Amino acid sequence: MTGTTMTRPRRGGKNPTVGKGRGVPRLLTRVAVFAVIAAVPPLLFDDYWVFMSAQVLAFAVATLGLDILYGRTGQMSLAHASFMGVGAYTTYVMATNGYGPAMQLAAVIGVALIAALVVSVPTLRLSGMRLALVTLAFGELLAWAIRNTTDLTGGTQGASVDPFLFGRLDSSEPLHAYLIALVPAAIATAFAVHLGRTQLGRRMLAVRDSELAAESVGVAVARTKVTAFLISAVYAGVAGWLYAGITGFIAPPDFDLFASVYLFVAVVIGGAGTVLGAWLGASYVVLMPEVFTLAGQPNLYPIVGGALLAIVALVVPDGIVGLGRNVWRRIRGVRGDEEESK
Amino acid sequence: MSTASGAPHVRTEGLTVRYGAFQALRDVTVSLPAGAISGLIGPNGAGKTTLLNAISGFTPIAEGSVHIGHRNITALGTRRRALAGVVRGFQTVRLMERESVLTNVLVGTERLPQPNALAQFLALPSQWRARNRDMAAATEVLDLLGLARQAHRRVDELPFASRRLVEVARVLVSSPSVILLDEPAAGLDQEGRQELAAVLTRVHENHPSTMVVVEHDVDLVKSLCSYVIALDSGAFLRDGTPAEVFGDRQVQLAYFGRAASADA
Repeated sequence: MTGTTMTRPRRGGKNPTVGKGRGVPRLLTRVAVFAVIAAVPPLLFDDYWVFMSAQVLAFAVATLGLDILYGRTGQMSLAHASFMGVGAYTTYVMATNGYGPAMQLAAVIGVALIAALVVSVPTLRLSGMRLALVTLAFGELLAWAIRNTTDLTGGTQGASVDPFLFGRLDSSEPLHAYLIALVPAAIATAFAVHLGRTQLGRRMLAVRDSELAAESVGVAVARTKVTAFLISAVYAGVAGWLYAGITGFIAPPDFDLFASVYLFVAVVIGGAGTVLGAWLGASYVVLMPEVFTLAGQPNLYPIVGGALLAIVALVVPDGIVGLGRNVWRRIRGVRGDEEESK
Repeated sequence: MSTASGAPHVRTEGLTVRYGAFQALRDVTVSLPAGAISGLIGPNGAGKTTLLNAISGFTPIAEGSVHIGHRNITALGTRRRALAGVVRGFQTVRLMERESVLTNVLVGTERLPQPNALAQFLALPSQWRARNRDMAAATEVLDLLGLARQAHRRVDELPFASRRLVEVARVLVSSPSVILLDEPAAGLDQEGRQELAAVLTRVHENHPSTMVVVEHDVDLVKSLCSYVIALDSGAFLRDGTPAEVFGDRQVQLAYFGRAASADA
């Protein structure tokens, strides 16, 4: 979350010292909460839902990345799933050439960075719709490239990816897949939280809210946008690597424009600009289609997704997280008033 | 030229700014004394904000030059001028509304040497040193401006006067040598104005700088500024001490529409 460490008002605002001695206990609390929630699927769910939970972990890495680009920096990308595709197909190509998951991951990060540089540097000065259009073109280009390189990528038929093998862990086992995905998801989350405490993270917020104000204090606006784009692309690439290893099968529709739009919807519904929102978004994007499938109405998902986006955009622009924060503030505000009047 | 405190003087030479056919500034040559608080006055459309924009690099200059100390900064962009020590506030408050006061102020530390993006992202030791330094600077400024208790509040929860101060804090946090404030008292009530003047005076004593304040309020200018420049219709009109400038007949005509001596 964009520096919840810093943004959250202190209870009653009593202690006037700024930001001292709040870091370590809060960090421990967060790690504990993360650990407790992470322990739920393996302890309580059956194999199928553990498998879905592993996918949530993979998609969380993707939404965290998109949140850095859109939620924090205010730049719209319609190619985030394409960057997942870059990661997934790089994983596939590396795997078919006999490289293990660690080498795959290194290659994924490298290729994602190069692809992101190629897309973002020429579009440095673009923003808003124009950047969105360029990312759209990149997505189409990738889809075309995959379709026309059947020998290398499996083309429209998709491709089976070998499971990850880390020692005794084998990602074709749902529980193992979950445990493997937990590590990168936790690291990605830690970096996203940490980003909110850095000047780099603040530059992004400044660029999102007022480029003029950002420049007035010396922020390099274009460079900040490119940095955000690179970070988000690496996140997407890592998510694609996880997705390929966990599901064991990838195909172009997994990474097409619709997939990108769903990721975008996920971030907005969860709450743009917050780490928690990105996680809620990931849960939404993985579990919602399942819910509709279970209800026997899989075709309703896109429609309901669109309607939900419209409702969120109109009624709760800060998403689920913003809604929760407002409710919490109201509850606490009442209590604070009582304390104040004593 | 610099004073002992290190604050440079600011000079423009033959500055002309055009918006299409309209000349917003015509051949303006002014010199703002080093280490002083100068007031920039004039009726609406006099070119006060344009002059501020030209000095801070927000407006392209058609002719003329801008100098900070001995350095000609005419060719520098906004960002480079900021890094060179020229930092401004805006007439309309431009803040990150959904972020905390502290975050808004910390953004202003951009001018201080920051570790590269990778070092920041990976939380290398240089990042922690920079963070401690920035937090110390922000804490000092927030204390100075009386905002310490609001440090963790979201900006959009604050009253207008406090939001103004947050913007001033963002400007001040990196101790720039040239501070340009565009109507910092706009929208404040009488009490708020006096408080702001007191705060700016206090800031100026603690961190010597060359401060330029665009302001309408004659009393505020008189109490805050030791030097005043009057503009009218994009041209230089008069400069000097507040008493000299406000006592000037031409200034009174341009500013009050009559040569009255009500305030003089």
